[in-house]
Amino acid sequence: DEAPRKRKRRNRWAAAEDNQVANLINLPTSISGNMTPEQIEAYVLNLRIEEISQKLRINDVVPKDGERSPSPPPQYDNNGKRVNTREVRYRKRLEDERHKLIEKAVKTIPDFKPPADYRRPLKTQE
Amino acid sequence: AGEVPTTRVLQLLNMIVPDDLKDDDEYEDIKEDVREECEKFGPIIDIKIPRPSRDNPNPSGVGKIFVRYENAESCAKAIKALAGRKFADRTVITTYFPEENYEVEAF
Repeated sequence: DEAPRKRKRRNRWAAAEDNQVANLINLPTSISGNMTPEQIEAYVLNLRIEEISQKLRINDVVPKDGERSPSPPPQYDNNGKRVNTREVRYRKRLEDERHKLIEKAVKTIPDFKPPADYRRPLKTQE
Repeated sequence: AGEVPTTRVLQLLNMIVPDDLKDDDEYEDIKEDVREECEKFGPIIDIKIPRPSRDNPNPSGVGKIFVRYENAESCAKAIKALAGRKFADRTVITTYFPEENYEVEAF
């Protein structure tokens, strides 16, 4: 047996009843049909896009304590209002992930339709 | 296409992304989290989490997690119980995986 190793963060599993988003997206989370790896990949891709869309809709964007990364220094707008709040940062992260996944889905899944509330991001300068 | 054949191997999807596998400690942490939770449904033979390495920078199955149980009943329990759970803020998807493919790592 290995020597005990210190975990970097707490266990990643949430409590069994804690998944509001999964209930809302209403897609099977157990695959019972015999699918090819390509079909499984397309299924998971679509489910992740739906999952992110639902998280953005109900504003469930900030992970629980153990899953958060260190906060960057605060940034303020001209009125002194903080612009990079935790919520703003995690929302942006999910939107970016969804954008990449949708681009992939459009190329790989026939008849794929992006979620109705999806807007292609404008070019940003960073 | 019919029903997916029942096996002893649990396939877990949508839990991790390739970036989560870069750091050795994080990789071991993930494996430990998976083992701890999956053992609740019965004894496990082994776990495979495909990961890029120097020898094989682009292996198949990166992003998937596989758990082989000692018996199919435990696997069936896990498939039912873990579907829809949340892992690192992502919804877990479960299904069976063919044991012969697991052995040769044809993910």
